[in-house]
Amino acid sequence: MATYTAPLRDMRFVLHELLDSSALAVLPGYEQATPGLIDAVLEEAAKLSQEVLFPLNLSGDKEGCTYENGVVRTPKGFKEAYDHMIEGGWTSLACDPAYGGQGMPMLLSTVFEEMVSSANVAFGMYPGLSHGAYRALHAHGTEDLKAQYLPKLVDGTWSGTMCLTEPQCGTDLGLIRTRAEPDGDGSYRITGTKIFISAGEHDLTENILHFVLAKLPDAPAGTKGISLFLVPKFLPTAEGRPGARNGVVCGSIEHKMGIHGNATAVMNFDAAQGWLVGRENSGMRCMFTMMNAARLAVGMQGLGIAEIAYQSAAAYAKDRRQGKSVARSDAKETKSTDATPDSRTKDLADPIIVHPDVRRMLLESRSMTEAGRALSYWVGLELDRAERHPDPAVRQEADDLVALLTPIIKAALSDLGSEAANNAVQVLGGHGYIHEWGVEQLVRDARIAQIYEGTNGIQALDLVGRKLGQDAGRLLRRFFHPVSAWLEAYADDPALAAYVGPTAKAFGRLQQATLTVAQRGLAKPEEAAAAATDYLRLFALVAMAFMWCRMAETARRKLDPAGGGANGEAPFYKTKLEVGRFFMARVLPRHSVHFQGVMAGGETLVRLPAEAF
Amino acid sequence: MALSGAIERCAVLGAGLMGSGIAAHLANAGLPVLLLDMLPKSGGDRNAIAAGAIERMKKADPQPLMSPDAARLITPGNFEDDLPRLAECDWIIEVVVEDLGAKRALYDRVDAVRKPGSIVSSNTSTIPLRALAGKQSDAFKRDFCITHFFNPPRYMRLLELVAGPDTRPDAVAELAQLCDVRLGKGVVRCKDTPGFIANRIGTYWITCAIDEAIARGLQVEEADAVHRPMGIPKTGVFGLVDLVGLDLMPLVAKSMLMSLPPDDDFRRVFKEHPVLGRMIAEGNTGRKGKGGFYRMNRAGKERVLEAIDLATGEYRPSVKAKLEAAEAGRRDLRRLVQHPSPAGEYARAVLVQTLAYAASLVPAIADDIPSVDQAMRLGYAWKHGPFELIDQLGADWLAEAVARAGLPVPKLLELARGRSFYRVQDGRLECLTPAGEYARVERPEGVLLLEDIKRAGKPVLRNGSASVWDIGDGVLCLEFTSKMNSIDPDIMALLGKALGLAAKQYKGLVIYNEGENFSVGANLGIAMFAANVAAWPVIEQQVAGGQAAYKALKYAPVPVVGAPSGMALGGGCEILLHCAAVQAHAESYIGLVEVGVGLVPGWGGCKELLARWQAEPKLPRGPMPAVAKAFEIISTAQVGKSAAQSRALGYLRPTDGITMNRDRLLFDAKQRVLALAEDYHPPKPAEFHLPGPGGRVALDLAVDGFAAQGKATPHDVVVSKALARVLTGGDADPLDVLGEDDVTALERGAFMEMVRNPASLARTEHMLTTGKPLRN
Repeated sequence: MATYTAPLRDMRFVLHELLDSSALAVLPGYEQATPGLIDAVLEEAAKLSQEVLFPLNLSGDKEGCTYENGVVRTPKGFKEAYDHMIEGGWTSLACDPAYGGQGMPMLLSTVFEEMVSSANVAFGMYPGLSHGAYRALHAHGTEDLKAQYLPKLVDGTWSGTMCLTEPQCGTDLGLIRTRAEPDGDGSYRITGTKIFISAGEHDLTENILHFVLAKLPDAPAGTKGISLFLVPKFLPTAEGRPGARNGVVCGSIEHKMGIHGNATAVMNFDAAQGWLVGRENSGMRCMFTMMNAARLAVGMQGLGIAEIAYQSAAAYAKDRRQGKSVARSDAKETKSTDATPDSRTKDLADPIIVHPDVRRMLLESRSMTEAGRALSYWVGLELDRAERHPDPAVRQEADDLVALLTPIIKAALSDLGSEAANNAVQVLGGHGYIHEWGVEQLVRDARIAQIYEGTNGIQALDLVGRKLGQDAGRLLRRFFHPVSAWLEAYADDPALAAYVGPTAKAFGRLQQATLTVAQRGLAKPEEAAAAATDYLRLFALVAMAFMWCRMAETARRKLDPAGGGANGEAPFYKTKLEVGRFFMARVLPRHSVHFQGVMAGGETLVRLPAEAF
Repeated sequence: MALSGAIERCAVLGAGLMGSGIAAHLANAGLPVLLLDMLPKSGGDRNAIAAGAIERMKKADPQPLMSPDAARLITPGNFEDDLPRLAECDWIIEVVVEDLGAKRALYDRVDAVRKPGSIVSSNTSTIPLRALAGKQSDAFKRDFCITHFFNPPRYMRLLELVAGPDTRPDAVAELAQLCDVRLGKGVVRCKDTPGFIANRIGTYWITCAIDEAIARGLQVEEADAVHRPMGIPKTGVFGLVDLVGLDLMPLVAKSMLMSLPPDDDFRRVFKEHPVLGRMIAEGNTGRKGKGGFYRMNRAGKERVLEAIDLATGEYRPSVKAKLEAAEAGRRDLRRLVQHPSPAGEYARAVLVQTLAYAASLVPAIADDIPSVDQAMRLGYAWKHGPFELIDQLGADWLAEAVARAGLPVPKLLELARGRSFYRVQDGRLECLTPAGEYARVERPEGVLLLEDIKRAGKPVLRNGSASVWDIGDGVLCLEFTSKMNSIDPDIMALLGKALGLAAKQYKGLVIYNEGENFSVGANLGIAMFAANVAAWPVIEQQVAGGQAAYKALKYAPVPVVGAPSGMALGGGCEILLHCAAVQAHAESYIGLVEVGVGLVPGWGGCKELLARWQAEPKLPRGPMPAVAKAFEIISTAQVGKSAAQSRALGYLRPTDGITMNRDRLLFDAKQRVLALAEDYHPPKPAEFHLPGPGGRVALDLAVDGFAAQGKATPHDVVVSKALARVLTGGDADPLDVLGEDDVTALERGAFMEMVRNPASLARTEHMLTTGKPLRN
């Protein structure tokens, strides 16, 4: 069966021992976010995830959402769980105290997102979308709009959606057709159809705020002519209660591969009243300001699913007995005549965790999940520094790193979610393929993260096409210089040789690949595009390797009596060192394939004429 | 052909902006000049007007003078005391007010004192030669012509030369030769018609472009943006008028209307526009006035660029025009003029009328079409002349467009139907004559253009950033073809190959190209990228590779002559420093500017400049003076603003040659190779006696002093100290003799130290993204 316990010890290791989480509390506005408080919040978040959300995951998947006459019902138990969640104040965690929020760092919210995604990713999308809407409105809304709507989004009584996609356009938003006509009173009338709207209609909240991209009359062509509008499902009354029904209805919901508990709606806008958020024709810019956080959140969905997939597979592998250890099969088989059937099985078969190939799958998932956690929390921390640090130079550096690593985290961790979920199905064998075991659901739920919020192919293009060349490669400096300096500092440390050596080699190839992609791409953009996915994966593996280097160095320091000591946790740190060694020996070598892919150039991709496909 | 050199002394009459600028340029060419003007009304120094003009020119920017030596060649004087001195002069240029009576009166006085056979020319732009010469003596008429310079005379390459029916052909030839070779001008022979060539077509174009913009409701930014793909100056048309002065427009138009034939098409396009009248009346006459079509509003906290709204005549914040039509026309002019948008229609209207007008004027204003094209390129900075533009559009397309616009199709354009104005036949450029036949475009003797060599054949060697051409007589030419001619590993590689080939089969090599600038230095983009990904070994390898390539250049068994024009900065300067000789265009701007991007010269620039100053006999003895001189020049990134100034800084040797005419540079450089090749021995390696740590301390103290005075920024101090370490020989003992490789090793070390410094990276990044230095 799928099983989940929030990995609090691993999370604390990354937050407090690897990264310096105390750096958060020195940022203006985050004074309360001390390591102690963070731990206390995470304890409670773990309880919510394990006890309230996780039990609804399988049932929610089976039942799904139902649609009737424009009304959507979420699966049984979702409404109660949601009420429980907002009563606990979870929707207000990383929100502005001026609007009723708790003012916690985004890093904390990132960790919370991981847990919720492990426990019930379909449910987690309802508050997740609301938080995206909150950020857009908070950054770009007028004071009036903010005062009117933000408190409702913060306390969770109202929820939010992002309405971007239309039938004829997804990735290329320049093609949208939804129109916005000025109404004369400062508001606008929005008309058009939006599809694939997550949490577009449901019964969890008393009102839903749609954030809609639309074109004003005479707007410039393409993405420069898009504006963002707030369109509530119910127009608020003077008292701030949901009032008259607005001209927006749910036309239907999709029947999807996964995330069945989340309603993916077709939304029809028919002269619906809306208000401009941000300036005219600056809708894309408004989207961009929340893009990094939204893409990081999708990465956390992949990470969360990878974590529960690993836990479920590991538990099964320790319990399930099949076959004998190859190591032991040489030994003479002892026959026992008076054994119970149970002890006979014990005698004849070992738990499948003894099999190297099962361990391979478990360790692949685990070593990448732990590195992915370290990487994403690092970026989460930098996201907070990018927004709050008093020194603009530090803010810029942090923002550079976030911009560079965000597409990598989104793509690599959503790929990881899929890979780990598939590994888990494989470890469970036939049971993994059966719905009631709750593991095949993970494969289906994980799949969408590779697609939405910019497909992973688009993430790769973002990395090579925008991030690489930006300001003569300045963004790269924020990653390459610390890695280079770290590797130089530990180059001659024999205790870390198993980590530093392979990482330095892969890093050298990443440097070479980066220069190659930049030079070829400058001459011929198609070359960069052809290298994009391999380059992103190469980069991700090197970034994970760097995280393992630092985790290994941290663990070694903790194990050294002179360096603080392990406080009775020696097995924990030794395990870190072992998992890291596995990563270096068995996962990092994947980078060679991607390096060669980059260096091979795009010729073999473009030679075949379209008719030959 | 008359003997060049017969003209040895000149006089310029009239010390206004043009007169003094012409005098300065004659002095730039090494000719002594008498600069005369009227007595000052206020009394005092009787030469005050001319003397004041010379003083102003010493401070002006852009500099009319190429060197302080040139200023000393100009002697100020006045019309009352000094006219008799005209008897010493071989060429007398009149540049007084555009008033026929005033000019004639002066000619009478000149004629009385000048020596027989001396040439007199007028710089008039509006008065016909026949009117100027009409009542003068026969002898005067024989010696008189028009030499029309463009402003500023040093930098504008066009010289329109108009001879009258009586002018001695030998005088014209002599003057043409002098203006071409010694003044470096593109001499275009014109007929005695109003506005000659450039102003005739230029005035029509400006008038038409402004009128069409107003009539079509285009904004000035849009109109200017549309002109860019036509290859018309960065300023566009409105920006150009701001530069020239709005108030000049009605005067020029009035003069044209008075003198042009009655059926001239200018009369049709010329209209009075109230918005222009109002601007002039309010003093908004352009850059010299309160503002022009554009102005910088400094009233508020921040400077705001504003532009005139052509409809209302009011200023408003300038909006950068982004036009699909301009974008579409960047590579293909046809796509611009056929673009279905107001901007495309505007471009079509302006080009169709202007080009048809130009075509209607040959042979009335010039004998051939290359003269017209050259005049517009050199006098109005058009990238392509009108007939070259017609070829881009197609003569048939234009003829039909002219007819559709209801205008008469010029005879010359009819002749070109189904053909083009230029063609390449057997690798040679030919042009269509007014008789309807093709004739070779002949280059004067001593002019050699890579452009022509390229038409005739293929390069001997080439890669993505450079080509090598056989330029005849056993000489090769290495041409940079990279973006902005920046130096990258491909150029280094081809340099090596070219040297190998030259050593085996050729007499020598010229390094030359026909870009706007010789080279702006190393490709910083590649270096910056490598630095950003911490690829330190890659960078060090590129530094070492460049040092090795330039060393091979210096010690090549055959002579290599560098032939720069325009900027030769950083790595582009260093390559010249390693050449056996340099033949520089007079407009060469040479310098080691690495500190501006937080680096030190790493391709032997420190070493070579040090060697130059060590060999300078005028410096005091001992190791320190040469080090201090090189340090001063490199640490402040000094760039010579002419070949002469570059020589004063040591970037050029006294033996290096200077060519005034851009078109003669390659020929002169090739001759230099041939002369050197007769008995060539590679140079002996320099030996360095450097002061070591003691000298470094002295330089460091000086740097700290500058910092304390606020003359050096914190990072200037860091970079200067790294440079000081290189130039003083590192930890060398003052008694040690260092070799060239020792100094390049120090350069490399300092370069690598600087390239890893975040403040240096910030400088490089700023330069790459904004084009301006960062003073951190």
